[in-house]
Amino acid sequence: MSQLWKGTKRYALIYSLFFKNSLIALMEYRINFIFGVMVELGFIVIKLSYVYVVFRVGENINGLTPYNVMLFVGTFIIMSGIYSALLFFNFVNLPELIRTGDLDTYITKPISLQFITTMKSIDISFAVPNIIGGIIVVVIGWNQSGIPVNLSNLAGYIGYLILGVILTYSLFLLPQLLAFWTVKTNGINDISNALFDFNQMPMTIYNKLVQRAGTFLIPVFLLTNYSPLFLLNGLSKLQMVWGIAAPFIFLILVRLLWKYALKQYTSASS
Amino acid sequence: MSIIEVQNLSKQFSYYKKEVGLKSSIKNLFHREALYKQAVKDVSFTVEQGEIVGFLGPNGAGKTTTLKMLSGIIYPTGGNATVLGYKPWERKKAFKQQFSIVMGQKNQLWWDLPANESLNLNRCIYEVSDQDFKMTVEELSELLDVKELLKIQVRRLSLGERMKMELIAALLHKPKVIFLDEPTIGLDLLSQKKIREFFKYYNQQNKVTIVLTSHYMNDIVDLCKRTIIINEGAVVYDGELAKINAMFDATKIVKVTLSQTVSDADLLQYGVIKNVDGLEVTLEIEKEQAKHNIKSMLDHLPILDFTLEDTPIEEGIAAIYQHGRKQA
Repeated sequence: MSQLWKGTKRYALIYSLFFKNSLIALMEYRINFIFGVMVELGFIVIKLSYVYVVFRVGENINGLTPYNVMLFVGTFIIMSGIYSALLFFNFVNLPELIRTGDLDTYITKPISLQFITTMKSIDISFAVPNIIGGIIVVVIGWNQSGIPVNLSNLAGYIGYLILGVILTYSLFLLPQLLAFWTVKTNGINDISNALFDFNQMPMTIYNKLVQRAGTFLIPVFLLTNYSPLFLLNGLSKLQMVWGIAAPFIFLILVRLLWKYALKQYTSASS
Repeated sequence: MSIIEVQNLSKQFSYYKKEVGLKSSIKNLFHREALYKQAVKDVSFTVEQGEIVGFLGPNGAGKTTTLKMLSGIIYPTGGNATVLGYKPWERKKAFKQQFSIVMGQKNQLWWDLPANESLNLNRCIYEVSDQDFKMTVEELSELLDVKELLKIQVRRLSLGERMKMELIAALLHKPKVIFLDEPTIGLDLLSQKKIREFFKYYNQQNKVTIVLTSHYMNDIVDLCKRTIIINEGAVVYDGELAKINAMFDATKIVKVTLSQTVSDADLLQYGVIKNVDGLEVTLEIEKEQAKHNIKSMLDHLPILDFTLEDTPIEEGIAAIYQHGRKQA
């Protein structure tokens, strides 16, 4: 147990250094940072335009009021921020590490290779506008939907959000592992991003078949739908359990595939 | 037990060919004929603690592939190897904490950060204590003459300075085995020399085992008593560098400065003409007849100056590359 605690502490310390180093590097390029923030603000406006459309129409969508819809859109914006700040650049960079053979140096480090290659780069210029913007949208939606702010609602919302982050990690890392065989993964990236965007609107707007496929087969709807659905009492018992189990199942799956994929690594010419 | 033991280590890569042009690219989309290259074949050797062993070989000979297998970066397709008692490709944490690999063409430092930030990250990754960290950085940065540069962004450093920082990062955890893959590539002569001197000193002080690949003869001559020559994936020579020529070396090089021109026919009596530059002549003569021929040359030719040399070591190595002769 003490070994586990020691290990966790060590990884937390290393992660804090990744964070610090990324921040220092980011601050070296101020203009780029400002542009990053501006681009993200632009994306938020696009995402909010969906809410605008809902308000313009002024009708409920499958029982969801426009303010309920804001909960979904806000959660999606928060998750976009977390994904692009903590994971996206690492995932995109992985095929590059494989192609150029730069993975070599990482392999020789006495630390989990998966940890260092998938968590090393953090770009908060993407996180700041998305997370702040997303929280504002959620707070408005929460307030106007008349949902009580109590411990159980907060814990449920944040809990499913964290589970969503774990699932996002697993689900979007999986296709990148193909790079160990195919080297480039641009085609798969486009599909992954398109799947992520399925969450821009509540999952209930899709038909039952799409909902089931997006819940159990490729559980993209679990990424950002379960937090607001929990608040709106829209989760069945099965969904609640699946929402907790799926992130860990996929995390184990991605870990096993990672180990298998690594055996395919042939490095690159020197 | 030897610190590195390699038995019949082999590595086969698969690849495919593509003819010039778009048409063949389209064809390749649907069908690729798999071809195989035996990058390393049945390589065997052992290295003792404290040895510096040089790996020599032409490009694509299998030197780097062998180093990559010994550092656990890639899996072999055959044979076995242990480094410090570990199978490298099992990638055990305890093994990784005791060795280091420096690749001249790869860097591990964060480009946009001063080197000391990357060093600090390595300190945490390798679980080096604060005190040891301070001492090691102090000592190594002084030895390599980069103490003042630790706070400067890595991307603003010269190639030589960057390589020195890379070395500090690689030696922070005091590895027992160091693999150096062309550590002086692209560096100017002075930087090359400095790095060679550093490793010589570091090896003597710490008794670390070093396996080095380089295309620069000076690296090998200065540092390595023992050289393993690899060609086309196989070991073709394993022994002292100085003795390479003895294998072939049936000749000596005689350089003479003449006071007046001499016809080629006259020169050919003594040996093979390697070069004639005005009155400067280089001849290659049979070793066994060297004494007799030189005496005769001095008696019969208008010689002002004269030197006798061994055949350059590069020629011996080139001969080994070409003939692929194996010495037990």
